[in-house]
Amino acid sequence: MTMSAPDAVCAAVRRERLCAAVARALTGDAALHYRSGRLCRQVRPLPLHAPHLRSDATQDDFALLRGAADCAAMRLVHSDAALHRSLSPTPYIERLLFEIFEQIRCEAQPAPGMHGLARNLRDRFESWSRGYFRAGLADDHLGILVYTVVQIAWSRVTGWPVLGETEDLIEATRAGIVTQIGTDLAGLRRHRCDQRAYARHARELAHRVASMLAHARAMFGDSGDDERKPDDALSAFSLWVDFDESHEAGAESAAPGASLSLDPSAQGYRAYTTQFDREVRAAALARRPLLRDYRAKLDERIAETGINSARIARELQAALAVPHRDGWSFGEEDGRIDGRRLAQIVSSPAERRVFMQERMRPHGDCAIAFLIDCSASMKAQIETIAVLVDSLARASEQAGLPTEVLGFTTGAWNGGRARLQWLASARPSHPGRLNELCHMVFKRANDSWRRARTDIAALFKADLFREGVDGEAVEWACSRLAALPVMRRILVVISDGSPMDAATAQANDATYLDAHLKEVLLHHETLRDVDVVGLGIGRDLSAYYRHCATLDPAEPLDTKRLVGVARWIGARR
Amino acid sequence: MTMDFMQDRPDGRVSVRECFGIDTGLMAPMFAERDDHVPDIDPAYRFNPDVTLAILAGFMRNRRVMVQGLHGTGKSTHIEQVAARLNWPCVRVNLDGHISRLDLVGKDAIVVREDRQITEFQEGIVPWALQRPVALIFDEYDAGRPDVMFVIQRILERDGSLTLLDQNRVIRPHPYFRLFATSNTVGLGNLNGLYHGTQMLNHAQMDRWNVVAKLSYLPPEQEADIVLARVPEMDDPAGRARVEQMVAMAALTRRGFAAGDLSTLMSPRTVINWAENCQIFKDTELAFRLTFLNKCDESERPIVSEYYQRCFGVELGEAGHEAEAGGGALKPT
Repeated sequence: MTMSAPDAVCAAVRRERLCAAVARALTGDAALHYRSGRLCRQVRPLPLHAPHLRSDATQDDFALLRGAADCAAMRLVHSDAALHRSLSPTPYIERLLFEIFEQIRCEAQPAPGMHGLARNLRDRFESWSRGYFRAGLADDHLGILVYTVVQIAWSRVTGWPVLGETEDLIEATRAGIVTQIGTDLAGLRRHRCDQRAYARHARELAHRVASMLAHARAMFGDSGDDERKPDDALSAFSLWVDFDESHEAGAESAAPGASLSLDPSAQGYRAYTTQFDREVRAAALARRPLLRDYRAKLDERIAETGINSARIARELQAALAVPHRDGWSFGEEDGRIDGRRLAQIVSSPAERRVFMQERMRPHGDCAIAFLIDCSASMKAQIETIAVLVDSLARASEQAGLPTEVLGFTTGAWNGGRARLQWLASARPSHPGRLNELCHMVFKRANDSWRRARTDIAALFKADLFREGVDGEAVEWACSRLAALPVMRRILVVISDGSPMDAATAQANDATYLDAHLKEVLLHHETLRDVDVVGLGIGRDLSAYYRHCATLDPAEPLDTKRLVGVARWIGARR
Repeated sequence: MTMDFMQDRPDGRVSVRECFGIDTGLMAPMFAERDDHVPDIDPAYRFNPDVTLAILAGFMRNRRVMVQGLHGTGKSTHIEQVAARLNWPCVRVNLDGHISRLDLVGKDAIVVREDRQITEFQEGIVPWALQRPVALIFDEYDAGRPDVMFVIQRILERDGSLTLLDQNRVIRPHPYFRLFATSNTVGLGNLNGLYHGTQMLNHAQMDRWNVVAKLSYLPPEQEADIVLARVPEMDDPAGRARVEQMVAMAALTRRGFAAGDLSTLMSPRTVINWAENCQIFKDTELAFRLTFLNKCDESERPIVSEYYQRCFGVELGEAGHEAEAGGGALKPT
């Protein structure tokens, strides 16, 4: 994962979120969202390969991002993916052009009453064209050929003029090829509302262009030195396209989240040994006087921030509590007659407040668990996190919501005893997770915040922070939540990146733990038993979590930010 | 007293094709004369074919019809407009949590007769309507208290008569009495948080409704026609294009609601309000702000303003910027 300033990450996440919301509204498909910059349905990236749909939220400006989202939405609305797949040609270049033509067709569909959308589509395509041209990809004659074909096709199908900036440059090529592809271009325009008929012309056109390219390449092929040049243009073009075959295959066959690394062992994720794993009360890991010191320090930090926990509690209550019948409210002006006041009706007939009504009280039928990633990198941010979690736990209690505060780390560095055991038994291949897990309980749902306050302060004990196996920790936290007798369960995972365990990554492969985390999250997402949400500390966690937010650790925590977090936790999902 | 009405019956027939524009050979019964209870005809009203047929089945074959749909889809109006075209008297009762058995069946009330106070039984709305050729519409049926709604359990059956316990009297329904209901939910309670105060209905009772018709939002062209019929000032090419954009905007909010991104949506009523407000304020954007945007939760306004950008091609000014500044602390996805 690349590092970028938390602020930029936050802004990018927000923009992607807005674009995804629009894509959902345009398509009516509630499962669409962005994951690592790609539009996904559930966890699968959608097979949208037209090059101008590629966008990067951290770099592109908002208008372009909008355009990309709108392009993708139009494609989903107007194109039948199964039909498209069955009609698309196999050779690489042809398929690539076919993709672009289909995308162009979808963008040419009328969107009544949506002028802004139409403009976004056009801006997006023109900006991509400009980028392609300025990057010098159209400089050699293969590049200009592809560029010209795409430009004319776009212009013919959508009815907009070609990009003015490059109109003169493509003129010569256009004049040269228009006799060969003229019929198919006319066919594209004529059949732009009929995917099947359009595809026939698009295939033919793609085939013709591909054979022109092959012909040109053969001519260059004669002189050995120049051989690489045309391929450069093409590979650069395909870089823009990024025909990700593995994603495509994944969308059709393999189960989502099944990592390549899990396949060889053919038995999914497993732990080499669970003998050394343990679940401990965090308070047991530090001496009592030390904990008291830590607590004093934490209290000092909280006092500095001046957090208004009643305000946060109200926010949580408004978001999560449900009305619950709780006794009667007497002395009302309407409702049912209160029998005990019959005498009053006789004695003072003008008194109207003799009725009673059922009283509804907000009742928190929801449990929240905070799962803190206690890996070494989190050590630097722990003060912020401790303040955050402590305030939220306290506010939740005021709102009548049971909370758990949990943490996960490993018992040792570099695999510990699990790895020694593996070494001793001659390093069998694919050993699975290879470390001692340490799951820490800072506060149980049954403990009141007052009783757990010193336990929560154990977060300050720096030597607890080692490595992290997120997938198993999320499973553990979810199973703890499942045992609570409530209607709704929310797990807030506070983390600053991907799972990391050196020994496991070495003995299996680098994505082993990542894949398991994704698998676990997908499981809960589809089961909908626990809402697992990710709070990234200065990092974008959208690669893993369907619902995530980013908190910039550099900014001081105050009531306003905490209210924001509380609102986000309680949001309807 | 009841005998006057027993003779009333529909004395004409009207072609459904002509009257409602539905392609069918059905002929519907029709009263020759309009009385006070017949609703006024709204010439701009568009009939949904399926729902119209369901309601007509209610009138022609004495079926108990429930119309279910989101708010602002014109459920009650739909029944009323069908009744209006058949000259069928129509009475609407809005149910709420405080309607009691006494209100529906009747109660003893003190009346002055020959200068003397006497206690007399006064019929409630149900026995009153039951003895007349009247279509009784229970609006917001799911807001009624389930225990109270058992009062109508018997009359939900086609020939079910009503026993007035207070008077030891049995009322047989008039052969042209009809019963309809509208509701926002299908009797399973407030699932999406949109309809507070709705109740879980008893399914023994739900079962007695013969026909449950679902009314959803109209196709965009028809919705635009309705808006233009209501706000004729906008019926020129420029106005029509604007209404088209407004309807597209409403459709986006509805799909956004279905996807869980918004917690409010624009009903056709909102669109009409917006069009009317446009005439007042002479500014589409300001009218939008006043009609809909201010009803939205602050955190959802950036999404609404994105929708607005898609339809109108302009930014919705401050709403987005506010969120940019205010949401600085936390950016949920």
